[in-house]
Amino acid sequence: MVGNSITIWWIIPILACLLISAGAFIWLAVRLGGGHSAKNAKNKKNGSFEDAAEKDVEHIFNDDFREELRNRGRLHFEKIIGENAMFLQQDLRLTTSQLNEYMKAEITKKLQEEFTKYEESITDAKQLAIDSIQKTNMAVEEQRQTLSKQLQHETDEQKSRLLKEFENNMADIINHYVLAAIGDQIDLSDQLEYILSDLEENKKAIIEDMQSGV
Amino acid sequence: MESNSREIPAKGLLPTLVVSPADVIDLRRELGGLDEFMRQAALRRSGQALALPKVGHLLGELATVNNLNLLKQTDRKDLIQFLSDLKGSAPVVHMSFAADPSSAFMSKIINWFRNNVHPQVLVQIGLQPSIGAGCMLRTRNKSFDFSLRKRFLDNRQLLLDKLAEDRSK
Repeated sequence: MVGNSITIWWIIPILACLLISAGAFIWLAVRLGGGHSAKNAKNKKNGSFEDAAEKDVEHIFNDDFREELRNRGRLHFEKIIGENAMFLQQDLRLTTSQLNEYMKAEITKKLQEEFTKYEESITDAKQLAIDSIQKTNMAVEEQRQTLSKQLQHETDEQKSRLLKEFENNMADIINHYVLAAIGDQIDLSDQLEYILSDLEENKKAIIEDMQSGV
Repeated sequence: MESNSREIPAKGLLPTLVVSPADVIDLRRELGGLDEFMRQAALRRSGQALALPKVGHLLGELATVNNLNLLKQTDRKDLIQFLSDLKGSAPVVHMSFAADPSSAFMSKIINWFRNNVHPQVLVQIGLQPSIGAGCMLRTRNKSFDFSLRKRFLDNRQLLLDKLAEDRSK
């Protein structure tokens, strides 16, 4: 709207100049035509003197002279028209260039606004994506921590279970290990004292059981 | 231990070579055969050749320790009676070892039983390789675990303490 009003304000002086030029030309032509007829009427009123003067005038202002004046007026008019056309052309060029500048500025501004909006949209979308990724990351991290805790818990449970099982069956395990490692090197003869001492320790119980059985 | 209401024969010694009820059964069978042979030999005509059966080492030892002459019918009869009584009433214990024990080893075990528990104890020997070392003893009503495994079980807390001590280092 502001651009359009500026263009109109530029065009109005140009049109005014054109109208003034046309009015001046018409006025000159009427004056030239009007003056000639007024003189003739005055000459008629003033009698023969005047007729003589009129003849002289007619002699002076004959057709050639008039033609000369017309030519001059025509040339002047053409000159004025040419100048005005030149002015008009300049103004038009100026207007066009200003219009171009204006259009360029407007388009640039519009494009800038659109780009700004576009950038804002992209920034919003980017932020949205970042937020979404962050939420996903947080969820994944939480999941990972939960799984990690569960895994740790399971591992600890398994460890304690294995440890407990090992402790419960430790005697068997060590016995098996000793047998596997040095089982073939254990001689019964070497164990005689150990066996006899065990028998001695349980002698009373053995005798009691024997006597009760008998 | 085998149950039997019959009394254990008060008289009669068992050599350490006689270990198990199976030995007693073998001796009884061998002595029965010898007695039968001697009975038939008494019925033979004079002048016929007599081929004496070989007496086993165990039977000879048994007769020796009991001061019996196997050529005498009464001694044989007493010994047969003794073995029959022994078979039915001798206290029997079952001992399991990780490996087959030698006769010297078993003679020491038998001596201990016969000196400390009862003079006519018989031992049934079993094999149980899983016990590793030591032995398992089973009497009539009780079972005694003298194995290495039992020793480990008894000292389990000691091992746990040691493990905990190593873990804390």
